[in-house]
Amino acid sequence: MLAAKGIVMFELLPQVLVSGVSLGMIYGLVAFGYQLTYVTSKTVNFGQAEALAVGALVGLSLQPILGYWMAIPVVMMFGALYGAAVERIAVRPALRAGTEGWILSTIALGIIMKNVAENIWGKEDLPFPSPLPPVPLSIASAYVMPMEILIVAGALVLMLAIEALNRLTLIGKAFVATADDRDAASLMGISTRAVIAGSFAVSCSSAAYAGILIAPVTLTGASMGLVLVLKGFAAAILGGLTSGVGALVGGLVIGVAEAVTAFYVSTGYKEIPGLVILLIALAFRPEGLFGKPLSKKV
Amino acid sequence: MKRSLLSLGGLLLLVAAPFAAPNAYYVHMLTVVLIFAIALMGLDFIIGYVGQISLGHFGLFAIGSYAGGLTAADAGLSLLPALGFAVAVTALFGAVLAFPALKTAGPYFAMVTLAFGSIAVIVINEWTELTGGARGLAVPKPLLGTSVLDGRGFYWFALGVFALAWITVGRIISSRYGRAFEALQSSAIATDSIGISSFGYKVLAFTLSAGFTGLAGGLYAFSELYITPQSFNFELTIVFLLALIVGGRASRPGAFAGALLAVWLPNLLADMTTFRVIAVTTTLTLFVLAVWRSGRGRPDWRVWLPVAITFAVTILSFQLTSMIDQRLTIFGLILLGAITYLPNGIIGTLLAGRTGRAAAIGTVRQAGHALPTTVVGEDGGKALELGDVTVAFGGLTAINSLSVEVEAGTVHGLIGPNGAGKSTLLNVLTGIYRPSKGVVRLRGRQINGVSTVGIARAGVSRTFQNIQLFGQLTALENVLVGRHRSYRTGALDMLLATPRYKREELEQTAVAMALLDLVGLSSLAGENARNLPYGKQRLLEIARALATGSAILLLDEPAAGLNPSEVQELVTILETIKRTGITMVLIEHHMDVVMALSDRVTVLDFGEKIAEGPPQSISADGRVVDAYLGTSLAVA
Repeated sequence: MLAAKGIVMFELLPQVLVSGVSLGMIYGLVAFGYQLTYVTSKTVNFGQAEALAVGALVGLSLQPILGYWMAIPVVMMFGALYGAAVERIAVRPALRAGTEGWILSTIALGIIMKNVAENIWGKEDLPFPSPLPPVPLSIASAYVMPMEILIVAGALVLMLAIEALNRLTLIGKAFVATADDRDAASLMGISTRAVIAGSFAVSCSSAAYAGILIAPVTLTGASMGLVLVLKGFAAAILGGLTSGVGALVGGLVIGVAEAVTAFYVSTGYKEIPGLVILLIALAFRPEGLFGKPLSKKV
Repeated sequence: MKRSLLSLGGLLLLVAAPFAAPNAYYVHMLTVVLIFAIALMGLDFIIGYVGQISLGHFGLFAIGSYAGGLTAADAGLSLLPALGFAVAVTALFGAVLAFPALKTAGPYFAMVTLAFGSIAVIVINEWTELTGGARGLAVPKPLLGTSVLDGRGFYWFALGVFALAWITVGRIISSRYGRAFEALQSSAIATDSIGISSFGYKVLAFTLSAGFTGLAGGLYAFSELYITPQSFNFELTIVFLLALIVGGRASRPGAFAGALLAVWLPNLLADMTTFRVIAVTTTLTLFVLAVWRSGRGRPDWRVWLPVAITFAVTILSFQLTSMIDQRLTIFGLILLGAITYLPNGIIGTLLAGRTGRAAAIGTVRQAGHALPTTVVGEDGGKALELGDVTVAFGGLTAINSLSVEVEAGTVHGLIGPNGAGKSTLLNVLTGIYRPSKGVVRLRGRQINGVSTVGIARAGVSRTFQNIQLFGQLTALENVLVGRHRSYRTGALDMLLATPRYKREELEQTAVAMALLDLVGLSSLAGENARNLPYGKQRLLEIARALATGSAILLLDEPAAGLNPSEVQELVTILETIKRTGITMVLIEHHMDVVMALSDRVTVLDFGEKIAEGPPQSISADGRVVDAYLGTSLAVA
C-alpha cells in the first residue's frame, strides 16, 4: 500500500518539478530586480511586494480594455514610475545622508502603496483570467500548463533583454560601470544618481512584470506580494546579490524546493524551505553561491 | 536625583491610573501600553543600541505569547512560571537566530529577521496539535499564586513587571555592557581590537532583546486571554517600528511614548472628531512653522511638503466617516515624517543636548593614577616576532618573506612609502589578515590564526589610520570601553547595583580620567567623540588603546593630519608612554617623530625589508634614501 503510494508520488515528480520551475522563475525575476538596485547603490526596495501586487492589480483592471498582452507594457511603465518615486522619496535622501534610513522609508512607502491598493481593489483576493487556454499540454511524462510555459519564457525574455541592454548600449555600460565602482564611474562623468534612479525604475518594473506574469496562476490582491518577494530575496541571497545568473539559479532552487515540500509534506509548510534556505545561506555563505566574497578592509 | 523623582512621580501616576479610567476597556488599553513598552525596550537593544533594523520582532512576540499562553492553558502553570518560560524560550530563539542574523548587516539583517518572524508565525499556524492553529488559543485567566487576577489586578502586575524591566534595562544600558553595544554600532573592528568580541556582544544584545520581547509577548497572552496566529503579522512589526522611531530610539521614555502612540493611534483613527481636531491643529502648526522657516531663510519645498500632506489628510478626514481603512497610509506617512524630520523621535528631540551619563565626571577626579599597564618595564625577550611572513591577496603580494623582531620595552619604527605593506603588517599582527606563509609570535607564543579578539586579549592594543572611535559615546566613555575587560564585578553585581559594582564603576572612571589627563583631554571628557577636533580624536584613540592595559601598543600613523604643534604634543605624550615600558610599534610618515622616538627602525618597500637598524644609520642608508626619503637630486 505504502509502496504503491510511493510509486505514484514518484511518478508525479516531473509534474512537481515543472510547477516548481515556473514558480522559481518568478522568484528569479524578483531576485533579479533586487540585484539591479543592490549593485548600483547597496540598497534594495523593501516595498518590492507592493510593486509586484500593484503590477498584477493594474493588469487586472487593464486587461478587459487592452487585453493581457497590451496591458504588460503599461504595467511595466507603472512599475517604473513607482520605482522612480521610491528612489526619489525614500532612497536618495538616505544615501545622501549615508544612513540606513532607507530600509524604513521604503517600508513606509510600501505600506502606503498597499493601503491605496486595498482602497481601490478591496482587501479580498481576486481571480485573474488566464490569457492562455487552461488545457494542459503533454510534454514527455509531465502535463504542462501553457501559462507555466509563458511564465518561464516571459521571465527569461526580460532578464535576457536587460542583460543585452547592459552589454550593448551606452546606458547599460553606465549601469555596469556604476555597479563596479560608483566613485570611479562618477569621476568618469557618469551621472550615478541617474543610474541609481534608473535601476530602481527597472527593478520595480520587473517586479510589476512578475506580478502580471504570475497573476493568472494565483489570486491577485494587495497582500499577494509579501511572501513572493521574501522568497525572491532568499533567491537573491542564495545566488549572491551581485549576480544576475545567481538570481535565476537561486530562484529555481527555491521554487523547486517549495513545490516538492508542498507536494510531499504539506501545502501549509510550503513557504518554509525558501525562508530556511535564506537563513542557512546567510549563516554559512553570506556572499551567495555566485557572489564575490565579501572582504573587509581597515 | 531630579531624574529619580520624575520616575517615581510617573510610577505613582501609573499606579493610580486605573482609578481614573472610566471602564475596564481603558484599563485593558493601559495594560497593553505597558506590554508594548516592554516589547519596545527589548526591540531598542537592536535598533537603538546595536543600530540594526529588525523586522522579525513580531515573530519573537508571538513565540513569547504562545509559550506563556500554552504553559498556562495546557500545563496549568500560574502567571510567574509561565512568564519565566516565555522569556526563556524566546531568549533561546533569539540566541539561535542571532547566528545567521548577526553575521550580516543592513538589508540582509532586516530580511533575515523578517524571514525568521514569518517562519515562526507559519509554524504556529500549522502546528495545530500544539497551538490550535488558526482557530486560536484560549488562555486561562492569570493566576498569581492561588488567586485569579482581574483586569485591574493584572494591570498592577504588568506595571510591576514594567517597572522592573525599566530598571533592568536602564542598568544594563548605563553599564559597560550598554557601552559595548553602542561601541559595536560605530565600529565592530575597534571593539574586537579592544578584546570585546563584537559577535559575542551582538548575540548577547539579541538574546536580551528577544527575552524582553518574549516577556511582553507572555504578558500579552494573559491580557488578551485569546490569541491567534493572525494577530502576529507584519503589521505588528510596522507598529513596533513606528512606535520606536516616533517615540525615540535608544531611550526608555522614548519606548514608553512610542507604546502610548501605538495603542492610542488605532483608537484615534476610529474617533473622527478627535482625529479632525488633531489633523487641523497639526496642519496649522506646520503651516506656521513653515512660514516662520521660510521667512528666515530661503524657501524650501522640504518645509512645505509636510504642510501639503497633512492638509490633504485633513481634507480626506472630513470626507470620510472613519480613517480605519486608511490606517496603513497614516502609519506610513507618520513613519516617513519621523525619519525625515524627527530622526531622534519625540523624546530624543525634547531631550536634545542633555546627556545623563556625563554627570559623574566632575566628582571622580582623583590624582596620581598610574597607567593601567599590567606588564610595566618588561625587559628582555621579543615582544613580537614575524618569521618569514608572506601575505598575498590573489596575485598581489603585499608582504614578501618578511622577518621582523620587536624587542620588549622598545619603540620600533616602521616606515616605507605608500603601499609598502605597513598597514598590512599591522593587520597581520592584529589577526585581521592571516599570513599566507610564515609565523607570527607574541612573546614567543604563535599567534597566526588567532582571532583579532584573542590577540587583543593576549595584550596587544592598537590605533587606526582611519580613526575608529565610538562617535556617539563621550570621550570618557570611549576610554571606559577600553577598560571593559578589566572589570572584576560581574553581570549580577551590575543588575543588583551592589555597592562594590558602584565602587568599581567610580574607580574605573577615575582610571579613565587619568588616561584622558595623560593625553590632555580631561577637559573634553563629556564631549561626544565625533565632535572632537581631528587631532584630539587621534589622541583619544591612544588613550582608549592604553586603557586596555596592554603591554604592546601598535600605532598606525598617529601623527597623520596633525599640525606641527599637535605633532609636538603627540611626541611628548608618546615619550611619557615609552617611559612606562610599553612596547610600541610605530608606523609613521613624519620622519622627525620616528627618529625622535624609535629605538630601532625597519624600512619596507614593496612588501620587503630594505633596511633595519637604529634611526641614525637608517637615515644615512642609501637605499632608504632612494626608496623613501628622496634622492639628493629631488631634494635639491
